[in-house]
Amino acid sequence: MVSKDCDVIIVGAGAAGLTLAARLAEGGKSVSVLEAGPERKLGDLISSQIWARKLKWSEPAVSESGDHKIGHAFNAGTGTGGSALHHYGVWLRMHEGDFSLNSDHGLGLDWPLSYADLAPYYDQVQAEVGLSGDSKQERWRPQGAPYPMPPMPLFAQSRVLAKGFEKMGRHTAPLPLAINSEPYKGRQACHYDGWCDSGCSIGALGNPLAVWLPRAQTAGARIEHNARVSRVIRDPQSPQRIECVEYIQGGESRSMYAEHIIVAAFTVQSVRILLSSATERYAAPGNHSDKLGRYLMTHPAGTVFGLFDQEMFPHQGVTAGQLLNHDDYDKKDAPGGFGSSQWMIGHAIKPHDLLGYGTNRPDIFGAELEPWLKKASRHLGNMTLVCEDIPLPENRITLSDRADSDGIAHAHAHHDLGPSAAARCAQRMSEGAEIMRAAGASEVWSGPRIGQHHMGGAVMGSDPAESVTDAFGRVHDTDNLYVSGPALFPSSGAVNPTFTLTALASRQADHILAIK
Amino acid sequence: MPEPLSRRHLLARGTAAGFFVVAGECLWLTPQEAEARVFEPQILSPQQCKALSMLGDALVPGAAAAGLSAYIDLQLQAGDESLLIGKYLGVDTSAQTGFYRAAADNVMSLADESISMHTFATSMATDAVSGWAGPPASYVLFVLRADALDVTYGTPEGFEKLGIPYMAQIKPDKPW
Repeated sequence: MVSKDCDVIIVGAGAAGLTLAARLAEGGKSVSVLEAGPERKLGDLISSQIWARKLKWSEPAVSESGDHKIGHAFNAGTGTGGSALHHYGVWLRMHEGDFSLNSDHGLGLDWPLSYADLAPYYDQVQAEVGLSGDSKQERWRPQGAPYPMPPMPLFAQSRVLAKGFEKMGRHTAPLPLAINSEPYKGRQACHYDGWCDSGCSIGALGNPLAVWLPRAQTAGARIEHNARVSRVIRDPQSPQRIECVEYIQGGESRSMYAEHIIVAAFTVQSVRILLSSATERYAAPGNHSDKLGRYLMTHPAGTVFGLFDQEMFPHQGVTAGQLLNHDDYDKKDAPGGFGSSQWMIGHAIKPHDLLGYGTNRPDIFGAELEPWLKKASRHLGNMTLVCEDIPLPENRITLSDRADSDGIAHAHAHHDLGPSAAARCAQRMSEGAEIMRAAGASEVWSGPRIGQHHMGGAVMGSDPAESVTDAFGRVHDTDNLYVSGPALFPSSGAVNPTFTLTALASRQADHILAIK
Repeated sequence: MPEPLSRRHLLARGTAAGFFVVAGECLWLTPQEAEARVFEPQILSPQQCKALSMLGDALVPGAAAAGLSAYIDLQLQAGDESLLIGKYLGVDTSAQTGFYRAAADNVMSLADESISMHTFATSMATDAVSGWAGPPASYVLFVLRADALDVTYGTPEGFEKLGIPYMAQIKPDKPW
């Protein structure tokens, strides 16, 4: 019997990993977190879209294929806080119907738990993180405790765009955000400066550095940075137990032993670690029925832009937007395609960078450009559609035939968008253009369809033959190996995943703490 | 409330960005300064830098003076620490040098003096440049335009040009 270095090893210091680190350490467990990237502090978060690229995925590139790629480098993160360090703070609950996609519609997968199982954790987490919003005005919201903070104030852009929705017979409500509309638990209120994507250095946005990291460290959790995990290793005497994690740090191969091991390295890397853990004798943990890596999902999303005569001041506010529309969310099987959809309305936006308005009008260049940018910087409105992705087994994460200098295999992600989801996305984008015109835009255009958020690959389920983990994220063919994060999602819904993955992590923490 | 930017304020921040070789001497300069002092690129050739600057300036006027080619050369030197937009597009940093060299070589060999760079860019947008080799011309155009927007408008000085308050939480002490 090898002696243990700690009770729990957590791989990945992102939203799921640091939630678990805080909850488990506060529950009395000795916890070590292995993070592949460098240490980051709030004071490192420079207000610059160019400098912000340091926060994105900086490890070996994930190769991609398919007709709707997942955009790994843009969506993932490296270093303390992971991808949640640059997330926009849209914290929405999945709807009841998202948990029973297969039972209700004969498509994709069901979750092994219901909204009612997760609701107490949504409530708990929103009180800990602090959400702003208006639960009464959010007419589509599943049952739950009211938000602990009032909604953000509305700026000019959103007031104008809301009229477009109203004219089309639709509704809007304040977008629920993990951003402080007033001081909360020692963290200050938002400045509405639109630098969320660069990482909120003032701690108003509830990213892991602002919320979970201080709690985890106060409770004694240790965090090792620049520790790249290559694989997990089974106990040779008891192969259903995972005895250690192997990782590379400072050019050296190291091992760490623990009672429980949680892989929370975001969607692609969590699967990469498990796939890399296969041996000649044993299949990769969770791959006993060839389900590991399958059902990779990314929300098809697109932004609709409009130019208005009135001043919109689109630099004001927060990157996420200010208003929400879920009128179509529960109409998954409405004509025109399949799946839920939502609008996030009135983003604070910059002139450059991948999502900037300058980048999204390639037809305007040369001498026309600067006058147009000046106009757009005062008169632009924009809103983003997020649609549901249908989980398909063919969409999967595999190991690439390439490896880095330490011998760690790269990952490959293949993703095609199913025709019914693609049709729904095109339909809603067309409706979005109508809404923008109804709001008074004199010119309307759309950005490309992109992949937003990553989910699936290590899906939870009741049937071990059809899933990778059980309802608590424990890998089916192991006693003590867990996956945490959006890799667990059996379906995507059409809401941003951070709230749900954090609630799931909190639920996992209770489960692990209850194990005698 | 946003703090109004002044020229004096920008100068006071100091905008040193990296080492550039100028007339055989290694100097710590901003890309704008390097561009103005005819730096010696370390990754691209001077001709390749000139081609990228010309095309970038046709897309985003002011990009050449803002230091576009110096920015690209500096970021290519940075390897895995590169901040070029290609990072978001999943382009391995090891492939970025080849990408920019190919783009520049295409421009040098195919941009005819009889047509304006504006017209050449229009042909690139529809992949209608005869003889273009390597990554599609329209993709090159997208990437180079994004780079040009970064150096021209992605800084406090660039925001000021557009009349947008920068409202930094932590001001960048160098543009990139």
